[in-house]
Amino acid sequence: MAKHLEGKVAIVTGGAGGMGSQVCRIFAEQGASVIVADTGGDVEGRSGVDASRVQAVVDSITTAGGSAVGATGDIADMEYAESLVRTALDTYGKLDSLVCTHGILRERMVFNMTEDEWDEVVRVHLKGCFTATKFASIYWRQTRTGGSIIYFSSLAGIRGGAGQPNYSAAHAGKIGLMLSTANALGRYGVRVNCISPGASTRMTDRGRLVDRGGPAPSLSAEGTERDPKNVVPPVVYLASDAGSNITGRIIGAVGHKLTMWREPTWDSAIYSETPVWDIDELFRVMPETLGAGGWHPAPPTSP
Amino acid sequence: MATKHLDGKVAIITGAAGGIGRGVCDAFSAQGARLVVTDTGGDVEGRSGIDSARVDAVAGRVQTAGGEAVAVAGDIADLAVAEQVVRTALDTYGKLDTLICTHGILRERMIFNMTEDEWDEVVRVHLKGCFAPTKFASIYWRQSQTGGSIIYVTSDAGIVGGAGQPNYSAAHAGKLGLMRSNALALKKYGVTCNAIAPSASTRMTDRGRMVDRAAPAPSLGAAGTARDPAAIAPIAVWLASDDASEVSGRIFGAGGHRISVYRDPVQERVLMGRSPMFDIDWLFQHWDDTLGQDRLFPEPIRQLGAPPSTPSTPSPKPST
Repeated sequence: MAKHLEGKVAIVTGGAGGMGSQVCRIFAEQGASVIVADTGGDVEGRSGVDASRVQAVVDSITTAGGSAVGATGDIADMEYAESLVRTALDTYGKLDSLVCTHGILRERMVFNMTEDEWDEVVRVHLKGCFTATKFASIYWRQTRTGGSIIYFSSLAGIRGGAGQPNYSAAHAGKIGLMLSTANALGRYGVRVNCISPGASTRMTDRGRLVDRGGPAPSLSAEGTERDPKNVVPPVVYLASDAGSNITGRIIGAVGHKLTMWREPTWDSAIYSETPVWDIDELFRVMPETLGAGGWHPAPPTSP
Repeated sequence: MATKHLDGKVAIITGAAGGIGRGVCDAFSAQGARLVVTDTGGDVEGRSGIDSARVDAVAGRVQTAGGEAVAVAGDIADLAVAEQVVRTALDTYGKLDTLICTHGILRERMIFNMTEDEWDEVVRVHLKGCFAPTKFASIYWRQSQTGGSIIYVTSDAGIVGGAGQPNYSAAHAGKLGLMRSNALALKKYGVTCNAIAPSASTRMTDRGRMVDRAAPAPSLGAAGTARDPAAIAPIAVWLASDDASEVSGRIFGAGGHRISVYRDPVQERVLMGRSPMFDIDWLFQHWDDTLGQDRLFPEPIRQLGAPPSTPSTPSPKPST
């Protein structure tokens, strides 16, 4: 069976996490050399760095005959992000893909959220995509070899999560950054896309409906629909040459279901004779024009 | 004029000294709202610090026109300032009905040249500057149970992405995520949250790539034209009014003559696998027929059977 990423070099951030570690392993199985990047820390990003968790992923790849090197650090740190790209070039001589799966979670309702909870989640998620992308794009702009960037976003960023204002903002922000960089880097043959994944990991073990008394659901996810391995196939596709004509898109990957999200546009518009709408007129026509379908239709039906 | 649509309401307007903020202040006041106007009074790049004279001038202009306004000069992304702004509304007027965030700065740079500082400051001002006043306004609304409305002015850069504005695009898209989170979180308290993507000529768009820097700034001649920033205000008035108390979590567009509404994000195409483990080779085979169809004209959803390589695998959940 042909390997779809033969000879490619990929940086995977969050490479020690539930989904990131599977991206690393499957990329290696598909022939890629992988830089496994992570703090090795806990879900809330409070425990600092733990190189052993990064090394464990590297070991599992090399034991299976693949090629990987670990680099422990905070991806939102500019120097560390730059060192990752340098590691790829020094070790493997090139870079083809940047996959950002990193992230932390600090849930709180907006009225209770502390400044620190806001700052750190936005910093890690969003700045952590910027920093890695900056240094990878400097390289690709010079080499003109093309490349592929994939950010792991979240349904929280597309539809919003009530108890996750920071996480929702950061993930939506990644989509904005993805669209910006897709526009900016197309001329250099670099494509940029988002995955909106769903799988069982230590992050979803924190969900509201999870019984904290029982064993963590992620421990028994292997081999089921919720196995984080199931989010990896579209990532392989986007990083492969087959995916070279795809950019600026969000692809949902949940269980067995892959979806292509529709690009945002406006549905309907109303126009006034005057450049500035007369306010009374606007109030009069709203219910029968833009509001004609009601403002709370059934949730958009998923295919 | 018939009734005033915001009679008796109290509104906080951030970025009140800016081009879009100005039109919002004037329209809200003309419609009967009492205002707390806040801004740094600084320049477009957010480098010139606080100029309280420009913020006071906004309040002065509203008062001269017969309205009520009180000014707070400061950085809205500073939690202490954001709290002070909400407290000023309560101390001055005894309540708060609407928070509208029009503030923002611009530091354009291609991603491969962007400095850490350019990233940090644009994301901080725009995005944290929406979180900070939302936090304190929602604390109040949660206690008062009076309901309220939040409106973020976002940008098409956050919806389609601006090539030379990775920081600005990320921050504006981030506002949409925060908006949707708030809409879900605050519904039970009767608080709505929506966004407006504006199109208008202001000192911010005077910096555009196609603008002749030698000629007079385009924004100086925008009043009364299709690029008039006052065109953003009418939909903001509507969203702040009781007429819109059921409208939440939506993005509106506004610009000369036009008011539009964006559709909620939907998934337009699907590829459903069935074996417990999604097969990579099978995906490569079927991508083009399914997810990879023409980008512009969504096709009906198509479903395929089980991956051929795993015909005998029991299916935990049939495709539906």
